Amino acid sequence: MTADSVEPIIRISHAWKFFGELTALNDVSLDVMPGEKVVICGPSGSGKSTLLRSINRLETVDKGTIIVDGQDVNSPDNDINKIRQELGMVFQSFNLFPHKTVLQNLTMAPMRLRKIPRPEAESRALELLKKVGISDKANVFPAMLSGGQQQRVAIARALAMNPKIMLFDEPTSALDPEMIGEVLDVMVTLAREGMTMVCVTHEMGFAREVADRIIFMDHGQVLEENAPQDFFGAPKHPRLQKFLNQIL
Amino acid sequence: MTNEPQNVRIVITDGAIIPDPKERRIITAWSISFVGALGALVYLCASRPEPYWRLLQFLPDGIAVTFKVTVLSILCSIPIGLITGLGRLSRNRLINLVASTYVEVVRGIPLLVQLFYIYYALGRFLKVPDLLAAIIALSVCYGAYMGEVFRAGIDSISKGQTEAARSLGFNRAETMFMVILPQAWRTILPPVGNEFIAMLKDTSLVSIIAVADILRRGREFASESFLYFETYTMVALIYLLITLFLSKGVSIMESRLNYYDRR
Ligand SMILES: Nc1ncnc2c1ncn2[C@@H]1O[C@H](COP(=O)(O)OP(=O)(O)O)[C@@H](O)[C@H]1O
Ligand SMILES: [Mg+2]
Repeated sequence: MTADSVEPIIRISHAWKFFGELTALNDVSLDVMPGEKVVICGPSGSGKSTLLRSINRLETVDKGTIIVDGQDVNSPDNDINKIRQELGMVFQSFNLFPHKTVLQNLTMAPMRLRKIPRPEAESRALELLKKVGISDKANVFPAMLSGGQQQRVAIARALAMNPKIMLFDEPTSALDPEMIGEVLDVMVTLAREGMTMVCVTHEMGFAREVADRIIFMDHGQVLEENAPQDFFGAPKHPRLQKFLNQIL
Repeated sequence: MTNEPQNVRIVITDGAIIPDPKERRIITAWSISFVGALGALVYLCASRPEPYWRLLQFLPDGIAVTFKVTVLSILCSIPIGLITGLGRLSRNRLINLVASTYVEVVRGIPLLVQLFYIYYALGRFLKVPDLLAAIIALSVCYGAYMGEVFRAGIDSISKGQTEAARSLGFNRAETMFMVILPQAWRTILPPVGNEFIAMLKDTSLVSIIAVADILRRGREFASESFLYFETYTMVALIYLLITLFLSKGVSIMESRLNYYDRR
């Protein structure tokens, strides 16, 4: 296969989502290529989370199709649980399982869903914890960790399933400022390793550094989509210009 | 999800006051009641062995029956409660309606009437043994209360937990049994303990349909000896002591379940 014949790994076509009267997604189309890093930004309530969550069907779109790795996520013929195993997700509020130790948080899904034997799952989990810089906390419960540590465990938990794609929904928004860096560092490392990433974030430094493309959403629409240089250097849409003035 | 407000409210029936496991003071409502009841029991048996000591030997058969009925009924009402609670949270309108109707109907009929109904009304078609009738009636009634406890407990776990589990690829059942219920259990346990205590007291109603529980044994004793006051003093003290023991037990269990919290 030649480079230009590579298929997008995520293909969102004309997605619409309504919450009652509200149009949360307004004819959104977006392709993500394997290995690509896409950052989504926009004002609060613009539909960023809805778009991200519709990729792994935590939200179901009302119109349009979403194809992940060749499979329509909304088709009843496809097992959504299998598709989700390829889509790691990191939430703003970490959502670690508080009744499980850090290690168990990481081994639970691989053991149950990928049928990986415990010793193997545990050594892989320890490797991942080392990678995110908290190998000494393997046997504590999440409540013992700081926010930054919890979020790094959450990233490791998603990675433990060996997903093809990682989705991030404002992973640093709930963190104290001094902890944002440690989480972004992990994400940058992950990006360098070639992971396909879709990140909703307002960390523009991160976007500039790793994004191949930045998407600006407002009122459920994609208003602008560009490489970082032009996105920041030559924003075209007035609302993006206003948005950038506010946050930079 | 239901359209009701999200704040957690566990329905408390008339169980007992569960002592706060963190309470460090010595003089509490619990300790006063416990020492008082135990003291009264010992004093009565020592100062007037006849009839109190004899009563204390006569009643334990009934205690065993009371416990047997309570334990079996609780065991049956827990799965009924779990199914009802899940049904009440179901997005399937039919399942939801069936579960809600069950809760509505059962809560609208006094337990004693349910007991009579199952015992006598069903008895017209098939002979239900006394003990079984008692257990069925108590389980059906408490299953509805337990359903509310399970519903509130499951509802109290943040939606983020479900989303995290589903996003990893766990299906609904795995999410419920591996992630939600093991956490909800902590919220569920105190009211379940409370229901257990409430039920233990409600089992006194089964004495009416010839189950030889504590109260029935007491009535037998009283009707032969005509010592009504003495008999019911003893019966009351025994119920009180059992209830106090259990509420302490629930409190200890509750504190053990807090192991994964920082505080
Ligand atoms: N479950 C829901 N029910 C009703 N409205 C919702 C729901 N989820 C999101 N919305 C609404 O949809 C819009 C987009 O939300 P969201 O995707 O969370 O925005 P963002 O992540 O960009 O802040 C908002 O107006 C929000 O209030
Ligand atoms: Mg959001």
